[in-house]
Amino acid sequence: MTEQAQKEVSSEMTIKDFQEGIRDGKIEGYKCVNCGHKRIDIMEFCPVCHNSKLEKVEFSNSGSVLTYTIQFVAPEQYMNEVPYAWAIIQLDEGPKVTGWIPFITKPSDLPIGQRVIFKKSYLPGIVFEKSN
Amino acid sequence: MRNVYVLSADMTKFGKSPLSARELALEASKKAILDAGISPSDIQAAFVANAFSLSEKQGHLGPIIMSGLGVPDVPASTIESACASGASAIREAWVNIGAGIYDCMLVVGVEKISQLDTITATTYFSFGSDFVFEGACGASFPGLYGAIARSHMTKYGTTEEQLASVAVKNHENALSNPNAHLHKKITVDDVMKSPIVASPLKLFDACPFSDGAAAAILCSDDFLKMKSRSASEQVLIKGSGRAGGTGALFQRDDLTTLNAAVLAGREAFKMAGISQKDIDFAEVHDCFTVAELIAEEDLGFAQRGEAGKLTQQGYTRIGGELPVNPSGGLKAKGHPVGATGVGQVVEIYEQLHGQAGSRQVKDARIGLTHNVGATGGSCGVHIFELT
Repeated sequence: MTEQAQKEVSSEMTIKDFQEGIRDGKIEGYKCVNCGHKRIDIMEFCPVCHNSKLEKVEFSNSGSVLTYTIQFVAPEQYMNEVPYAWAIIQLDEGPKVTGWIPFITKPSDLPIGQRVIFKKSYLPGIVFEKSN
Repeated sequence: MRNVYVLSADMTKFGKSPLSARELALEASKKAILDAGISPSDIQAAFVANAFSLSEKQGHLGPIIMSGLGVPDVPASTIESACASGASAIREAWVNIGAGIYDCMLVVGVEKISQLDTITATTYFSFGSDFVFEGACGASFPGLYGAIARSHMTKYGTTEEQLASVAVKNHENALSNPNAHLHKKITVDDVMKSPIVASPLKLFDACPFSDGAAAAILCSDDFLKMKSRSASEQVLIKGSGRAGGTGALFQRDDLTTLNAAVLAGREAFKMAGISQKDIDFAEVHDCFTVAELIAEEDLGFAQRGEAGKLTQQGYTRIGGELPVNPSGGLKAKGHPVGATGVGQVVEIYEQLHGQAGSRQVKDARIGLTHNVGATGGSCGVHIFELT
């Protein structure tokens, strides 16, 4: 393996890394070394410039709600949490991630654009709460 | 490319069935073979559209189905593109026949899911999205479309009543479709008062979990000649388009459109050499009510944000300017995942041949199908014309 290839491999993020990061209260993803595009994904090429050199980075835990739904029926792991909002959140550095916000029962509880923050939790997934 | 025709298309009833996927697939295939007036030995290859056969502890459906048709030597493999498996299989058969590899193929779409309880079935459906970043992060499958619906409402002012009007129309259409899963007339008020599943979507905004199968025999001009059949009054595949999108909904910049549908539609229209106004009716992928509105906008039948109003005004009813989902759509005809896209072709076939009974679209000559995988990771659009 060339030195270059080794460097690329060492910066790869596995699904396990991502999920362990969440349990430690960190949201991790990629930044493209060439164009700077930031994305939370499992990938080998940048979707913007198609460069293969990506570095693993940690993003801040703050962002805004782009859109959401309030679920009254949920996947197995979340059956006991309903109702809750499942939201698509844009983190402050730009990449998007999804997570859930407990205790949201009606649309007036959560305006689009609401500021939210992720905090380390014993609950499944990425739990956000409203912030200022 | 050579001309490719739909020689026949037929289906089982959609709904809850005690039969397994292989039995349903065989029933639909037998009907299509007999309708086409061919022998199973005329079939040179087959594609099976299916997503969840492993839930019945059975993979490798192709050879099992071909063995049941008495032709185990015929190659058959499964094509999986979640809910767009049917359109993908039609597309690949069209490619194979068009390219001259085969002259006669069977495409059979099938799904059997009613053996699963609702939570398990819901979980299976969410496997069609990017499960690590969506399903495992709390999204149900209806939740993904709930987020799409909220985006559409926020951006364009689409209302929940407009969404409900899609369900009312499609339930009405399904009343005259004997193969439909749901035969129940509903009102906007019924939809509005049904339990919330993933707001703003309610139970009656969602398609049911269905079992069922649909099959089509596709063939070339040479096959018609060999069988001394006329190439007129046949259903010709005039345009085929297929495109992809991110498997993950959340990665997209605009949730009010499915880019895969825009691209697939464009490709199909370009190939057919016709425009939206030439289409007499369309079967579109209304897994949730909002999906029908977005389909109409993505395909260029409606301006962005206008499809809800048009639906309320009756534009898409049978007898309206552009009938959409005369079969009842996924919403009421039912959504046996792998069978859905092939089932759309069954409606095209019946409508173009004037066999659709009281749901017949008057003077239908050109029809379109639009079949979406999950939240738009896959889309296939086909345009069919009666020659």
